[in-house]
Amino acid sequence: MDMNIIATRSQMGMSLIFHIIFSVLGVGLPLLLCLAEGLALWHKDGTWMALSHQWTKAFAILFAIGAVSGSIVEFELTLLWPIWARDAGSIIGLPFALEGFAFFLEGIFLGLYLYGAKRLTPTIHWLCSLPIVLSGTFSAWFVTTANSWMNSPTGFQFINGKLASVDPIAAMLNPSTPFETTHMILACYVSTGFGAAAVYAAGWLHGKHDDYHKKGMLLGMTVGTIAIPLQIISGDFNARFLERAQPAKYAAMEGLIRSGRGKPLYIGGIVDVPANKVIGAFQIPHGESLISHFNFNSYSRGLDAFPASFRPPNAQVIMVHLAFDLMVFSGLFMLLIGFLFCFLYLTRKRAVPTYPWLMWGTVIAGISGFLAVEFGWLVTEEGRQPWIIYGMMRVADAANPAPWMGVSFFVFLAVYLVLGTTLVVLLLTLAHRPKPPTRWSDLIVDERQTFEIQRVGPR
Amino acid sequence: MILNYIVAILLWLSVIIYAVFGGADFGAGIWELFTFGPHGRDQRNLITSALGPVWEANNVWLIYLIVGLFVAFPIVSYTLACALFIPLSLALLGVVFRGASFAFHSHIRENIRLRLFWARSFSIASTITPFLLGTVAGAVASDQITLHNGIPPLIVWWPWLNPFSLTIGFMALGICATIAASYLVVNAITVGRDDLAEDFRQRTLAAGTTTAILGIICFALMPFFARVLWDGLFIRTYAIWGVIITIVLGISAAITMYNRRYKTARFLIDMDVTAFFGTWGLAQIPYIIPPQLTVNDASSPPTTLLEFLISAILGMLLLIPSLWLLFYIFHSRSPLPPIHEKEVEGV
Repeated sequence: MDMNIIATRSQMGMSLIFHIIFSVLGVGLPLLLCLAEGLALWHKDGTWMALSHQWTKAFAILFAIGAVSGSIVEFELTLLWPIWARDAGSIIGLPFALEGFAFFLEGIFLGLYLYGAKRLTPTIHWLCSLPIVLSGTFSAWFVTTANSWMNSPTGFQFINGKLASVDPIAAMLNPSTPFETTHMILACYVSTGFGAAAVYAAGWLHGKHDDYHKKGMLLGMTVGTIAIPLQIISGDFNARFLERAQPAKYAAMEGLIRSGRGKPLYIGGIVDVPANKVIGAFQIPHGESLISHFNFNSYSRGLDAFPASFRPPNAQVIMVHLAFDLMVFSGLFMLLIGFLFCFLYLTRKRAVPTYPWLMWGTVIAGISGFLAVEFGWLVTEEGRQPWIIYGMMRVADAANPAPWMGVSFFVFLAVYLVLGTTLVVLLLTLAHRPKPPTRWSDLIVDERQTFEIQRVGPR
Repeated sequence: MILNYIVAILLWLSVIIYAVFGGADFGAGIWELFTFGPHGRDQRNLITSALGPVWEANNVWLIYLIVGLFVAFPIVSYTLACALFIPLSLALLGVVFRGASFAFHSHIRENIRLRLFWARSFSIASTITPFLLGTVAGAVASDQITLHNGIPPLIVWWPWLNPFSLTIGFMALGICATIAASYLVVNAITVGRDDLAEDFRQRTLAAGTTTAILGIICFALMPFFARVLWDGLFIRTYAIWGVIITIVLGISAAITMYNRRYKTARFLIDMDVTAFFGTWGLAQIPYIIPPQLTVNDASSPPTTLLEFLISAILGMLLLIPSLWLLFYIFHSRSPLPPIHEKEVEGV
């Protein structure tokens, strides 16, 4: 690959690695807010309310930065991939426009939610969180349909080398859409749930032993533990679908080089396609055949079933296989921690379990939720190589041929470093600020009397 | 094809809305660079309170334009991305720093120096971004971007750095500054600060006059750099009445502002910006990027346009009531709901 394409891919990849975190939180945090505030109103419990306030403050910053990083991605779709944009725009541009509306709605109701506390009754204020949850979820759905389309393009025909019968709605409802969108939306709830629990587990390990931290952990864990088994099931559906729809990607995920019957399952390891080896992998004999077709001696297609120019190159195969296994491992780890937490909670007369080993486990589960999102995204993008639109257009043919791509990459790298660092510092200061009051009566009074927007008074 | 033009007009509307509302935001950032004198601190506070409280909401119009071109006129996206990669990337950096600075600035409380750094970064980004977007607009309006066998040139400098496009860039700054100053006048009156209103009244007049002078320079440069536009305005003359309306509105805005009829002046300035962009659009019909790409040539297939249009209508049906609700709740004079005994008891 020439340097220009490497720079272009790196810039896009970096932007998505950064933006996906905010997208996930933008979908997941509203659900936590909504649940916490609902519980607060239901039980008249100040701690739940304080949690929902704290999350709202964090969400306000994350949303603003997510809007910025989202703008970068929208620009880059055409700036970095103009040839892709020229050919794909009329087919799959629509979901981005729809996402624009969903995002704007989310922003409007977030505005109401953030600054309307003084002007709305508590129930109406709580109801304002519902459109935020809904529009966030729809945003995720729209954008993921576009990615699904790149994996299984439909909604158009080529007649004599020209586009015909273009139908964006049919393109959005391509075969991958039900699998990918479910997996992505559940991923948002899983990572936000475990992520929130991890924040409070870390606080607990720092000696902050109070009801506030317990409840934060409990709610995050509950959301995560409900979502993670569903997510694992959805992942299984995805993998089975991929074996039919994108067999080369599937072979790369499984590290399967040669086709054949009764293939072993490779766990971990570095795939070496030319040498026909998966170095350092843990092997389960007949595992691959068993897991994919429930038959010890079933036939599995390996990478050799595809010409070299139609499947990911070796470097990508190494990445895809490892990323896939790490994603699965992270998922199973979260499942374990979630179940342990819930089991202990239910058997210990509903007391939040706070053993140090479990707290450490929760912190790691929180981190692995976000890592799993990044790994999953790596699998779907790197596994599709060398295609940008599967079977239709190659990445190398889609990139902006303009020079200066390398410069652009380093400039944006610097931008992300500055934004990321400032944001982390800001969130940490937010966490260290004095907490809002947790007594219900103080909270109600405080809420409506001291919340004054900065303005210029008369002389 | 009528559908092509309906969608083109829809996207042109988002350009106009972005120019008016986004322009006010940019302009507020620009004026923050010029807050000094005895009222400096109050001027800054007035600007801060005038900006949207949550995030850079008006950026959605820019994003909608980018996405809309991608959906409905993908060849335009392709051409602009290849030819104007540098100014568009720089403008994107501006948008990013504006948005991020705004968020950081309003959330940082403890560290004063860091807060000031982001405030300054906000002002600088607010100045650079409209200038760059102006030069890009200039490059589109001038007939300098030509395709060869359907392939656009890669990274060109002259189309956006020629005197015409640079003048448009400065004009964009002038427009933003004028709109923002006129909004700030009204805001100052609302909070009962006639002295601040007077400051910004003078600034509106100064910025407006500068913009008008730049407009005259633009006309002078047009025959050399933007033949298509010049023809549309003065040779085929079908857009000439747009110029007349723009000039009349501009003069009326100046007179009303001079006579301290602030709200009327603000309205006239918004209308003037609308007329300005409308005239530009009209003058370059049938081209979307003069001198080669026409609206009809660049359009997506009709199914795409129709679905895009329907999505826009449905989206608006959801957005408009929500926006109305937002403004109703924030602008209604209704006091906060009283605290009920019921709510407080129970703990």
